[in-house]
Amino acid sequence: MPRKPVAGMLPVTRRHALGALGASAASVAFPFVISARAQAAEIPIGMVLPFSGATGAYGPDMKKAAELVVGRINDAGGILGGRKLRLYIEDSETNPTTGVAATKKLLEVNKVEAVGGFWGSPIALAARPIILAANKVQMVSASADAITDGDTKGLIWRFQAKSTQWGPAGAKIMQSLGMKKVVLLAQQNPFVLAMIEPFKAEMAKLGGVVADTVVYNPDQPSYRAEVEKAFGGDPDGVFCLSLLTDFSSIAKEVYKGGFKSKIVALSIGADAEGKFLANVGAEVAEGIHHLQPAPPLDAPSYKKFVKAMGAPEGAVFLFAGNAHDQVCTIALAMEKAKTQEAALWTKAIPEVCNPPGEQVDDVVAALEMVRAGKKIDFIGAGATCDFDAKGDQLNRSFLHQVIEKGKNRIIGTVS
Amino acid sequence: MTAYLVTILILASISAIVALGLNIQWGVAGLVNFGVVGFYSVGAYATAIVALGGGGAWGGLLAGVLASAVLSALIALLTVRLTDDYLAIVALGLAEVVRLVLLNEAWLTGGPLGISGIPRPFAGLVTEANYPVLLLGMILLALAATLLFAEALVRSPFGRALRAVRDDDTVAAALGKDALSLRIKAFAAGGAIIGLAGALHAFYITYIDPSQFTSIVTAYAFMAVIAGGRGSNIGLIIGAGSIMALLEATRFLKDFIPFLDGTKLAALRLAMIGAGIVLLLIFRPQGAMAEPRLSARASRPEAELKPDRLSERKVLPHAS
Repeated sequence: MPRKPVAGMLPVTRRHALGALGASAASVAFPFVISARAQAAEIPIGMVLPFSGATGAYGPDMKKAAELVVGRINDAGGILGGRKLRLYIEDSETNPTTGVAATKKLLEVNKVEAVGGFWGSPIALAARPIILAANKVQMVSASADAITDGDTKGLIWRFQAKSTQWGPAGAKIMQSLGMKKVVLLAQQNPFVLAMIEPFKAEMAKLGGVVADTVVYNPDQPSYRAEVEKAFGGDPDGVFCLSLLTDFSSIAKEVYKGGFKSKIVALSIGADAEGKFLANVGAEVAEGIHHLQPAPPLDAPSYKKFVKAMGAPEGAVFLFAGNAHDQVCTIALAMEKAKTQEAALWTKAIPEVCNPPGEQVDDVVAALEMVRAGKKIDFIGAGATCDFDAKGDQLNRSFLHQVIEKGKNRIIGTVS
Repeated sequence: MTAYLVTILILASISAIVALGLNIQWGVAGLVNFGVVGFYSVGAYATAIVALGGGGAWGGLLAGVLASAVLSALIALLTVRLTDDYLAIVALGLAEVVRLVLLNEAWLTGGPLGISGIPRPFAGLVTEANYPVLLLGMILLALAATLLFAEALVRSPFGRALRAVRDDDTVAAALGKDALSLRIKAFAAGGAIIGLAGALHAFYITYIDPSQFTSIVTAYAFMAVIAGGRGSNIGLIIGAGSIMALLEATRFLKDFIPFLDGTKLAALRLAMIGAGIVLLLIFRPQGAMAEPRLSARASRPEAELKPDRLSERKVLPHAS
């Protein structure tokens, strides 16, 4: 029987379907045609950063910092005898599956030698096997211990404190504020959970008591039950291991409930580049202490970086400095090893970053010194950029701040 | 380059398999499953747990498919009196329950850290760098098999009975069709296919954690079915392919358009897809390809003179 189109519907022929397929194929293929020509002598490097999703707040500054370094290096004549760096940045959407596709794109289409960025442990962990299989370097700004566990072929470098280092820092701060009986309120999250045991151990060492540990699930409409449980026993202080969205709700609940216990929180929740104050207002935020792995705020290297970013003096960039340091480290190690081959220059990273050597914090000057054959000890904007044998960063200090009248006041650094 | 295309094809094929599963449930049987991601993650986790627990990759695959199918059948049985919006809410709730179990039962699922190092089928045959090509071959085979299965199902008497139940279950029951058993079978068949996709996801990424299984998986599956044409299997493969092509192709925009940065692009991509779906629903509500049906008019020529009842049918009766 003949097939007749139903009235009111466009008939879809095989030709239509093929046309649609062809058009979508062309839309994918078109950009490749151009990209293949553009990258002749350039050295491609990549970053996977969050621009949307729960951690989308951190991408823009990290991108800006990375582009800043690439611009400076290229303006000063590039590396490896005048070759320019070309930086490709992809959005992770705070989602590991997207992070994997983005990493693949960087490795296969842009042929990058290193993939940096990686805010967030799940994304870093999902991308790790792909980068290792491609024999390229992965640089992360994420904390989960698992990232550098196992066989990394010496290709993975962490530009961040490990989760296990955050806990003791929190315990020292609570101790310094005179809190004896404390409660832990923690989000169910790999990065946060790794802090709990080291925190308890340090607290016990300092003579404090952890009365209770309340673990909650993220993305809840309300955190009332958890807040009641944690604050209800009237502890001296509550250590809130929370991220921005949940901590905003928790702080409001605590304020509404009239609880008197002091809060010590993570700056990624209680500051988040000013977003926390914007969410809850000065009154709710009053008196909340928070900590973060700090860039060396008093170091000249960091001050220069803040100026270069065009930010007011004293601005605290939590992760942008790490992005800056990643690009610097890539450039220096390539120059030192005289190759863009990732498997080779990754071995040169400790040589340019760790002591002994002449300390230098400016990447262009550092490149000059490497070319002159000097042994350097690069000092980054996010940290001193020294690594242990597993690729974890050493000497990360933590910044302790308190919110007063809608502003952050720096109390000191803890290490 | 080739390897990146392989990645896109793998991701597109996996989402096409999910869409095929959803099409059996929603497109053919009219069961709104807003919990696609729940079944998808159960498939992935069951695969990982069994594969690492000694079942090997193939045992894992089987476990993934079975776990999702059994869970689907159970849900269909539990919700026997629910259709339309109510079933949608239960499915949504189930996905949330699954997410919380994955996040909190760390002894089984690794909790928020997830499970890494998932073994893959035929992993010893090729080098690690070439493995994605082999996997793509297997995934395409799985897609083809699923498509054949779904097509056969749609055109079979079983498929016709399902559509009858979807369009009016009272009439179907009055004609002697067992609506309950049909629904359970359709939901379980769709669930098995979604579980298969989850297993393939686990094999591809080799690391799974709860943050990979967000409701966007469900949203993409529905988009693929809506774009491709509800009820049409071929159409929704085009739908799933176009959505993936659109998502990935827009990645390249910012490499060439200087003023477009990641933040803007992220917002723009979602806006483009949203606008695309809205336009599609306005101008082509039946999707790229309409559901194949036997037309009663073919045997009753005089019916053509009357107003066409078929095209007046609400195209998405359950999607409100």
